[in-house]
Amino acid sequence: MAGKKTIAGPSNHAVARYLLTFFCFALLALHAARTIRVESDFTAFLPPSTTPEERLLIAQLRDGLVSRLMLVALQDADEKTLARASRQLAERLGRAPEFDYAANGSLDQFVAQGQVLMRYRYALSPAMSAEKFSEPGLRTALEEQLAQMASPFGALSRSIMVRDPTGEFLAIVRQFDSGAMPSLRHGVWFSADGKRAFLIAQTRAPGFDSERQGLAMAAVRQALSADSPQINAILTGPGVFAAESRRQIRHDAERLSLLSALVILAMLAYVYRSPQAVLLVAIPVAFGLLVGVLLVNALFGSVHAITLGFAATLIGEAVDYPSYLLLNTAAGEATRVAARRLRVTLALAVLSTVVSALALTLSSFKGLAQLGALTMTGVLVAGLVTQFLIPWLLGDGALAFRRPTVPTLDFLARSRWPAVIAALVVAAAVGWLAYQHPAWWQRDLAAISPVPLQMRLQDAELRREMGAPEVSVFVASRGNSVEGALRAADSVLPVLQRWKREQRIRSFDSPVWYLPAPETQFERLRLLPAPAALELNLARALKGLAFRPDAFKPFVEEAAAARREAELAVPPISLSSFAGTPLGARLNALIVQLDGQWLVLTPLGGVTDPEKLAQDLAAAPPGASQLVDLKRVSADMVDGFRREALSQAGWGAVLILLLLVAGLRSVKRALHVALPAGAALVGTVAVLVALGEQLSVFHLVALLLVLGIGLNYALFFERLAVDEVELSRTRLALAVCSTSTVVTFGFLALSSTPVLHAIGFTVALGAILALSMSALWARRNRLVPTGAVR
Amino acid sequence: MSMIGRVRFVVPFLALLLSLVAARVACADSFDLMRLMQLLSAAPVAEVAFTERKYSSLLSEPVVSSGKLSYRRPDFVEKFVETPRRERYRFAGDELLLLRNGEEKRIPLSSRPLLSAFAASLRGVLGGDLALLRDHYQLALQGSEPAWVLELTPLDEETGRYVSRIVVSGHAGRIEQIEVRESSGDRSVLQVR
Repeated sequence: MAGKKTIAGPSNHAVARYLLTFFCFALLALHAARTIRVESDFTAFLPPSTTPEERLLIAQLRDGLVSRLMLVALQDADEKTLARASRQLAERLGRAPEFDYAANGSLDQFVAQGQVLMRYRYALSPAMSAEKFSEPGLRTALEEQLAQMASPFGALSRSIMVRDPTGEFLAIVRQFDSGAMPSLRHGVWFSADGKRAFLIAQTRAPGFDSERQGLAMAAVRQALSADSPQINAILTGPGVFAAESRRQIRHDAERLSLLSALVILAMLAYVYRSPQAVLLVAIPVAFGLLVGVLLVNALFGSVHAITLGFAATLIGEAVDYPSYLLLNTAAGEATRVAARRLRVTLALAVLSTVVSALALTLSSFKGLAQLGALTMTGVLVAGLVTQFLIPWLLGDGALAFRRPTVPTLDFLARSRWPAVIAALVVAAAVGWLAYQHPAWWQRDLAAISPVPLQMRLQDAELRREMGAPEVSVFVASRGNSVEGALRAADSVLPVLQRWKREQRIRSFDSPVWYLPAPETQFERLRLLPAPAALELNLARALKGLAFRPDAFKPFVEEAAAARREAELAVPPISLSSFAGTPLGARLNALIVQLDGQWLVLTPLGGVTDPEKLAQDLAAAPPGASQLVDLKRVSADMVDGFRREALSQAGWGAVLILLLLVAGLRSVKRALHVALPAGAALVGTVAVLVALGEQLSVFHLVALLLVLGIGLNYALFFERLAVDEVELSRTRLALAVCSTSTVVTFGFLALSSTPVLHAIGFTVALGAILALSMSALWARRNRLVPTGAVR
Repeated sequence: MSMIGRVRFVVPFLALLLSLVAARVACADSFDLMRLMQLLSAAPVAEVAFTERKYSSLLSEPVVSSGKLSYRRPDFVEKFVETPRRERYRFAGDELLLLRNGEEKRIPLSSRPLLSAFAASLRGVLGGDLALLRDHYQLALQGSEPAWVLELTPLDEETGRYVSRIVVSGHAGRIEQIEVRESSGDRSVLQVR
């Protein structure tokens, strides 16, 4: 070891200290490996929900109907092959334990469901009336059926006709035709150009359960490769997003942190040329990370995958402290002495980062609170280890390592102009950002999701091709029981029907179509005449028609059975009537319990005037229904969060300034430190906005980091030096620190996960700007005036 | 019609056909699918009047309708029912246009196998398109040029659930009768007048 020969005293003491340190670390690591639970529920990174609408939004995003729907597009084969593959896949998935059902538009798929609808047609049909079962009503119906029978497609209606001559089944099915279904080819759903066959599968697992969603995806691929290995499939949907982003985040976090760790290690090795020095630099980082992660796990019960990914980035900041200490140690000086000399600067650097992370920790956003706690703990522990453990490890000896010289940036200080120009640019950026405000805030919750943009675009494209409505607007009808909520949903149907007729909404999909409120069911069944009367009406209506007199016997029998159900205590149709059918799965997802109440959700498509519709719905008695626009709710949530984050950041900034004034004992010096960091923030935001980025929560997190790092640099720059040698040491320390930061976060910027990319890019950019600003605005004379006491 | 009745009718008819085929072979002018298609495709563009009878176990007497069937190459087929009430079924391109009760409905043929198979039977037979017919049906030809019978059995499973066979008969390039036998046992017989 290069440094050994200069270490005074018995070296086995030093070895013992290292061993003790290593032993402590190993204990901690063992504890961490045993206790830490990693989760990847993306909703941890959604803003906290406070209003009932927001709780509904989060519930829907986590495990609502939309979150469970997986879109499968089959492609790269001719139409017939695709159609066959679609049928085979639908059949296999229908039997797979991962799915409730898989729909592909084919008729035979809905046989079971059709049987249920047919069975309960007299309670379900919206077209029921007493006149239809009178003699003239039946006569009209029978004449229509006769004409239908003689038509080229008579074969299709034949079996239904004898059971349902008045066409109630058709009236039920007609409601479902939302006009927003994909086109059919060979009897299954296809894109308009015939290049893709579509399936929609509802997973049993909720959308946020990324692990089981991953299994469901694997089941699709496996089923497909068993039947038609030549066909390519695109899978998309919220569950797929969850599974994919989990995989992606894990992959990125592992790969990128490994890469940046290797590069930093290489750089440190190059600078120090001393394995001991590199080890010393690594110790604070390792302890900081480990203690931070353990604390987060203890506080929150688990550590989010994104937090872990972010933990890697802490390396970039925590590695600065030991580097700053070691590189500022004069040749032959004991580290302990240097630590004492640098303690104020180090303490301020650590504390300012802790304060900036405090804003995060106080966030009501669970994911951000985790990041904050991790940063605070990690930095604090790294700082303490640097200040106390490293000098203790080194003892009285001095550590020998290479101190390469870094060219001065004095040419910048020779002229005032660069500093003035920089100030003007920053002022212009502030003005420009103020003028553009608030257009550069990201308001779309979807954009905050950890899902790569490319996947979201593909999802949007498939949904457009499918004509699948984006279920973000719906009517929520409340009740104290399922029946009560159904009654409320029933009462808004007239409003929705009027709006659809006037083409002010494109479609709606009401659960009461399949599951009417009990009163509605009984009311409809009572419209059926008594069996004897019906038989008489039918016999009279049949007179003179070509039908055999007994042709409609099934109709008479089934209508009589339905009439008897009107006298029962319980309505014939309940949720369980649809068990095992696609409609059953759909109903389960659209009838939900929230805050002890029942909600029936009626998804809407193509709403033109949400405000007016909300008014009309509120006006419909009994006023238990309400329009919910998930996009709006989410935008409001994001706005609310942003306000919270900004005010916390504001308090954080004030705290940091106070801290600096107290620590440096001078307002002027405090400003000297704060201004470059502030300017770096403004510059970073301006560059991001100029590049067309919209600022999300994750940018805010990154900006807080920029603030912490910027303050560190400014503090290091601001420290007065005794002589030129010390100035040169500071330059070296700053060069090493900034390179490690830019490298770590630069790697993170390469990630395809939006969160990691946003943080990486922002911090790397911010670090460069902070360094430049600190250099530009540094004090002209940075040597301690002779005779002054520091 | 009972099975016995059908057999009683078909057997002598087949014997007659076989003898005619034998005669044709003797003349060294074989009559096969290729020849039939040739004849059909050479037939002039036509509009013919028809009478259609629907037989069903649900009916005490057949329902009779009449109208015009027209065909224009390559793919325009229109069945215009005049009595008992006016209805129009027009196949053009990949679309079925349905006009009845003053309502108009358009359905893409490719949406349902049954529809495309039905359109193919009309277009294939009227235009003499062997490839189109073979896409959707198994073909069996019996008889000779003056009296042929072409049987179409649907290949598609969904179509087969409703239609068991379509039997077309005619004389040289002229179609005389199209009979659709449904899987339910019902059948409709369209006769060209």
